[in-house]
Amino acid sequence: MEKEEDGETKVEDEKVMEFLDSVDTYLFLFDSLSSTLRQGWLEFASARHSMGVSRVNGALLDLKSHSAATSLQVTQVDDSVERQPHFILHKWISSDNGQDCYKEGKFREDKLCMKIDTPQLRNRSNALLSEEKASARNGAPLDQIQKERSKSLSVFGTLVSPKLRAAQLSFETALETLVEIANMRSKMLSSFDQLHNELKAPTDHKLKFSSGGAVGNEVNP
Amino acid sequence: MAGRAQIATKNSALIAMIADEDTVTGFLLAGVGNVDVRRKTNYLIVDSKTTVKAIEDAFKEFTTKDDIAIVLISQYVANMIRFLVDGYNKPVPAILEIPSKDHPYDPAHDSVLSRVKYLFSAESVASGRR
Repeated sequence: MEKEEDGETKVEDEKVMEFLDSVDTYLFLFDSLSSTLRQGWLEFASARHSMGVSRVNGALLDLKSHSAATSLQVTQVDDSVERQPHFILHKWISSDNGQDCYKEGKFREDKLCMKIDTPQLRNRSNALLSEEKASARNGAPLDQIQKERSKSLSVFGTLVSPKLRAAQLSFETALETLVEIANMRSKMLSSFDQLHNELKAPTDHKLKFSSGGAVGNEVNP
Repeated sequence: MAGRAQIATKNSALIAMIADEDTVTGFLLAGVGNVDVRRKTNYLIVDSKTTVKAIEDAFKEFTTKDDIAIVLISQYVANMIRFLVDGYNKPVPAILEIPSKDHPYDPAHDSVLSRVKYLFSAESVASGRR
């Protein structure tokens, strides 16, 4: 009986730790996102300053029909209790060759994910790492990615400031962080639901026990 | 868990945005912009002239479309439609409240953290209220 209770306590503690870890990682990722976005906004403002306000503003956005070059793949992860969505970012896949890239891209992404989980790779200011990740995820060659990036920048003209290119990379990094945040959100909510159910169960058990005790007291004053 | 809805797998899902011009333009540079044949976009640029009704309509539209997996919304914009954002509880699309240039991210207002914070001690909840 005691061993069972110890076992249950251990499982509960693990769930609590998992939940607190996910909250901590969620907040850490938001911190990282804030600094990446700040960098992106600053670079964007610098580009606007050098190119002129008329050349860098929202009015130039392309309203012709076009598909997103960067999209998400949503899969389902079956936990012991919950079904969680899992988001995978696919950057710079053109609509022409998108489908062919997924299988190779997923394989390369899985290999890369094993490396990404190490703390050393949390510093995302390395543009080369961003390039490798984009290429690995998509299975698309680097020149294809550069082509898609140039196409996106062409809205602001043929010759653009290097600051605008830098802003583009910063926002790409921010996107990657956001996808991690979305996955961590799913994990956090799943852990929360499990803990919530655990907290409710002992309460029902205690109610049964206390009602039995009260009856005992009435019989034996 | 029995009765939990299946999460539909999607291959080319979009990221929708409800944010200020610079944030939206930045993410469009990163390639997330989508315009369909009816010229409907997957983003709404919020400025001083944008009404709360327009923001509500965009939020409802993005959260009911099948091809959207994540909705990014600036936290200060989310605060304008807080009742809608806090009332949303589907797993997909995921609603992420992001900081903006003039309004840094505040964990106290995040709808997901608000949902889970009661699990923390009474002390930390009280310190959050100060």
